Amino acid sequence: MIDLVCLGKAFDLQKEIVAKITGIEDSRVVNCKSLNGDLVFLQSDTSINPDLANQKVVVGQKFLDQLYLGDVLLLKPNGFVRILFRVKSNHNSLFVTEMCNSNCLMCSQPPKNADDIDYHYTINEQLINLIPKSTKFLGITGGEPLLLESKFVKLLDDCQNLLPETHIHVLTNGRYFAWPKFVELFNGIDKERIVFGIPLYSDFDENHDFIVQAKNAFNQTILGLHNLGRNEFRIEIRCVLHKLTFERLPRLAEYIYSNLPFVEHIAFMGLEYTGYTPYNSKLLWIEPHAYSTELEQSVLFLNSVGINVSIYNIPLCLLTPSTRKFARNSISDWKKEYLEECIGCSHLNDCGGVFGTSKIQSAYIKAIID
Amino acid sequence: MEFVCVNPSLLKISLSKEVYTIDVVYKCFYWYSGKYSVTINEGLSTIEIDLELGEGIQKVDGLIKRLKIDLIDFKTRDIVSKETVNIRELLVAKAFAHGDEFDESPPGEIADTPTNC
Amino acid sequence: MENIRNKRNRKFRTREYYGNSASDYHLLPFRFIELSESKEILVNEVGESLIVPRGTALKIAQRCIAENDPIIPDLISRFFISRKPIPELIDVLATRYRTKKSFLDSFTSLHIFVLTLRCNHSCHYCQVSRVTENREDFDISYNDIDLGIDHMFKSPSKKLTIEFQGGEPLLAFDKLEYAIERITRLNKDFKKELSFVVCTNATVFNTKNLQFLKEHNVLISTSLDGPEFLHDANRPKTGRNSYQLVLNGINYARKMVGHDQVSALMTTTRLSLDYPIEIIDNYLENGFNNIFLRPISPYGFALKNKTKNIYDDKKFLEFYKKGLDHIIKINQRGRYFVEDYTAILLKKILTPFCTNYVDLQSPSGIINNVVVFNYDGRVYASDESRMLAERNDLTFLLGHVSDSYESIFYGKKSKELSKYWSNESLAGCSDCAFQSYCGADPVYHYASQGDFEGFRPTSGFCLKNMGIIKHLFELMDFRKEEVMPIFISWISN
Ligand code: SF4
Ligand code: SF4
Repeated sequence: MIDLVCLGKAFDLQKEIVAKITGIEDSRVVNCKSLNGDLVFLQSDTSINPDLANQKVVVGQKFLDQLYLGDVLLLKPNGFVRILFRVKSNHNSLFVTEMCNSNCLMCSQPPKNADDIDYHYTINEQLINLIPKSTKFLGITGGEPLLLESKFVKLLDDCQNLLPETHIHVLTNGRYFAWPKFVELFNGIDKERIVFGIPLYSDFDENHDFIVQAKNAFNQTILGLHNLGRNEFRIEIRCVLHKLTFERLPRLAEYIYSNLPFVEHIAFMGLEYTGYTPYNSKLLWIEPHAYSTELEQSVLFLNSVGINVSIYNIPLCLLTPSTRKFARNSISDWKKEYLEECIGCSHLNDCGGVFGTSKIQSAYIKAIID
Repeated sequence: MEFVCVNPSLLKISLSKEVYTIDVVYKCFYWYSGKYSVTINEGLSTIEIDLELGEGIQKVDGLIKRLKIDLIDFKTRDIVSKETVNIRELLVAKAFAHGDEFDESPPGEIADTPTNC
Repeated sequence: MENIRNKRNRKFRTREYYGNSASDYHLLPFRFIELSESKEILVNEVGESLIVPRGTALKIAQRCIAENDPIIPDLISRFFISRKPIPELIDVLATRYRTKKSFLDSFTSLHIFVLTLRCNHSCHYCQVSRVTENREDFDISYNDIDLGIDHMFKSPSKKLTIEFQGGEPLLAFDKLEYAIERITRLNKDFKKELSFVVCTNATVFNTKNLQFLKEHNVLISTSLDGPEFLHDANRPKTGRNSYQLVLNGINYARKMVGHDQVSALMTTTRLSLDYPIEIIDNYLENGFNNIFLRPISPYGFALKNKTKNIYDDKKFLEFYKKGLDHIIKINQRGRYFVEDYTAILLKKILTPFCTNYVDLQSPSGIINNVVVFNYDGRVYASDESRMLAERNDLTFLLGHVSDSYESIFYGKKSKELSKYWSNESLAGCSDCAFQSYCGADPVYHYASQGDFEGFRPTSGFCLKNMGIIKHLFELMDFRKEEVMPIFISWISN
C-alpha cells in the first residue's frame, strides 16, 4: 500500500493550493507549482531548510520518495498534503463530493451531509488543468457525482475539452438519470469517451432499495439505465458481492440481459471490508468461496450471451478455475496487497491481490500450486 | 358442476353461471371441438354443454377430470385477461408511441428529484 | 440552494421498511399452460417465462400467494405482477415489447425472385410444378426483374435480403447475373445492407457461375435430405445419382466460394421420419454445423402426392424430439451443432430480441417481411402463396409487378389478410401461453384448413409449435443443467 496523505507542518501557506510537482531536487526536497504560479517546497526533514526560509514550505513529508514529476498535490495551510493525481497510476479519480442520496450498507467511503460541492469543484477545475494531456484514464467519483447537477456537466465538458485523449469513467448510482430532462443535460458530451459505472445489486426492487437504503432507488436506477441506453451512452453495471446479493446473482444476470442488453460491461466486485461494512458485518460478510457457484453461473451466462463481464477485487484462489480468466487486476495500486499465504503461488503475477484497506481477509486465501 | 354420461357417446355437462361465464365456457370447449361435437346452450342460471363422439367416449373419468382442470384454467385466464386489459393497451400504445407522449415521471419523493425535473 | 438531501438521516433501516405485504399487488398481462401434473409455465406479454408449481397462476389471480413465498420477487422482477397499478418500469417493459416486435421496422426485407420454373430434377415433393429444362417461357423477363427491383428499393427496410429461387435458378444464370449486377449498381445510391441467397440443387455449378457468386458474396443454399438412400429416394433424377451429384456440388462450391458460404436445407418426407439420427449424422459427416428439421409444408404440388407425403403431424413431433435429443448429445460431446428451428424458438424464449423467421411472426411475416416476384411477373404474399398459385389457387396473389407499390403492398388483399395475421386476436391463440413465441400463418391455415383464421384444435401448425415449445420447456426444466449451456450457446450469435 501507498500512503496518499501525509500530515506535516506548513510555513507561509495562507490558503489551500493545488500544485503540480515541477522539480525533485533529491529524496528530501521536492517543489511544486500551482496554476497561478505559487511555488511550494516539500521537505522530508521536520526542520525547515535554511535555503528555503522565505518560501512556502511544508516540512515532515514522509512520502516524498513516492512522488514523481507531474504528480498533483493538494496542500493545506495546516500542513496536510494529499496526492490528487499520480502520473504513474492508472487509477486516478476526481473526487467531487462526499454527499450522497443513497446510503449503501457496504459503502467504503460513507457519505457526509455537508454541502462540499463548490469546495471540490474548485479543486477539480484546477486539477484537470494540471494533469498531462496524455492521460489515458480518469475516474470521477464521490459520494454521488450527479448531485452536482449542471456543475457536473460543466466539469465533464471541461475534462473532455482539456483532455482530448482521456477516457472518463464515472461512478454514480444513476438515480438522477431516471428523469429524461436530466439526461438531456448531457447531450453535448462526447459519448464515446465516457462510461457510466452504475451499481445494481438485485433484480428485486425491495432488495436493492434495502441495500442502498433508499426507497425507489431500484426503479430510479433501472429507469436511469434505460434512459442512458436509449440515448446511446456507454454503461457498465457494478454489483458488489455479499450476503445480500449473492443468492439472486444469476437472476440479476438474466435481468440485465433481458432488460438492459445494451450494457457494455458488467463487473462483479468483492467486498472491501472498510467504511460501513464492518458495522454491518452481520448482514453482509460472507466468505467469497461460499458464493463461488452463483458467481460462476452468472459470469458464464453473461459471457455466453455476449456481454463483457469482469470480476473485481477477488483474488484468484477464491474463484473457481472457469471464472479466473474474468478476474481483473482491479484493486487500485495504492490499496493493493498480497499476503503471507501468497508466497509460492503460481498465479502471483496474474492475481489482483487483496484490499490492504480491508480489516479482515478471507480465511480461504491459499497459494495455488499448479 | 354436473357431468352425466347419457350414453357411451354423449356426455352432458351442466355448469352454474355464477361460477363460469359463457366466455370461459366457449374458450374452454373450443379446444374440445376438434375431437368432439360440442353444443353449448345458455340457460337462465346454468350453461348446458353436450360433448358427443360418434365412436363412443373412451375413459370418461379421465375426460371429466381433464375438463374440470381446464375449466379452472380458463377461468383463471379470464380473470387475468380481464384485469389486465387496460395495462396491456397502455403497454402496446407506449411501445409504438413516438417521442415522449406517454412518459411517466419517475417514482420518488421531491427530495429525490434533481432540480428543474 | 436549500438542499433537502443534505439533511437526510443516515440511520440504517430494516429490510421490512423497504418491503411490502405480499397480497398487495396488481396483475400484469400474462398467460399460462400446464407443463406437467405438478408444474405450469407462465409467460408474460414480452415473452418472459417462469416455470412454477401447478396452480400458481390461480393463486396469483386470487391473491392467495403467501406473504413470504419466495416466488414474489420472481413475479415482480419478471413483470408478472406489480406493486403499482401502472408499473414504475412500464417504459422498460414497453421497450421490450417494441424490441420483440421490431421485425416490423424492417417492413418487407426478404424479396424472393423466382427466376425460372425450369429444373433438371424431378423431386416428388417438389412444391412448385416442374417443367422440362428447355422452355424459355418459364423464365422471368428482364423487364419484370427491373420492376421487381424498383419495388424492392421502395421498401423502408435498411436491410434487404434477395433470394433467388426456381426451378433451378442457375439454369437462368443470365437473369441472375443481370439482377445481381443491377441491384448492386442501384444500391450505390440506396445504400441498403444487402444479402444475396441463391437456392440451388447444386448440380449445375461451373467455374463461371461460382466465380460470379463468390464475387458478389452470394450465399449458396442447397438441398440435402440425409443419407444417400433417403436423398435419392426423395430426388430421383433419371439415370444419375442425385446424392453424389449434390455432395460433389457442395464440395465444389465450398472449395470455390468458401466453406461457410454454402448451407443446406433438408426436407422431411414420410420416409425421412424413421431416420432422424441418420439424417443428422449425415449432416455432421458432411461438415455442416447446423440442420433445420422442418416438416414438409402443406402447399402446392406436394399435396397431390398424398400417400407419400401427408403424414401425421404427431409423427413429425416424435421425429423432431428424437433428432433434438441426438443433437444435444452431439453438443455434449463437444461438437457445436445447431438445430435451427429450436434456435429460433430459443431466441424468442430466452432473449429480449426478435427473430426474422417469417413463419413464426405475429403480425405474420407475409407481406410484412417477405414478398415474392414470380417468373411470370405475378407478386405473391409469400413463397408458400406462389406454391398455391401453381395449383391455380390465386388467393394470395397481390398483383402484378407492373402494378404500383401501393396497390401491391397496401391493396385490398393485404388489408383482408391483415385481419388474420395477428395471433393475439385469433381463437385459441389469444389466450395461449406460447403466443409470443408462435406466429400466425394465414397461408398455412388457408392451405391446410381452408380459411385464413384456421382451427387450432386440429391445426398442424398449432400441434407442431405447441408440441415443440412445450418440449423445449420440459428440457429446460427437467434437464436444465445439461441443456442450458448448449441452448445458450445456440442463441448467442
Ligand atoms: S494466494 Fe495470493 S497471489 Fe495467489 S491467488 Fe491467492 S491472493 Fe492471489
Ligand atoms: S398456434 Fe397454437 S401454439 Fe401457436 S399461439 Fe396459437 S394456440 Fe398457441
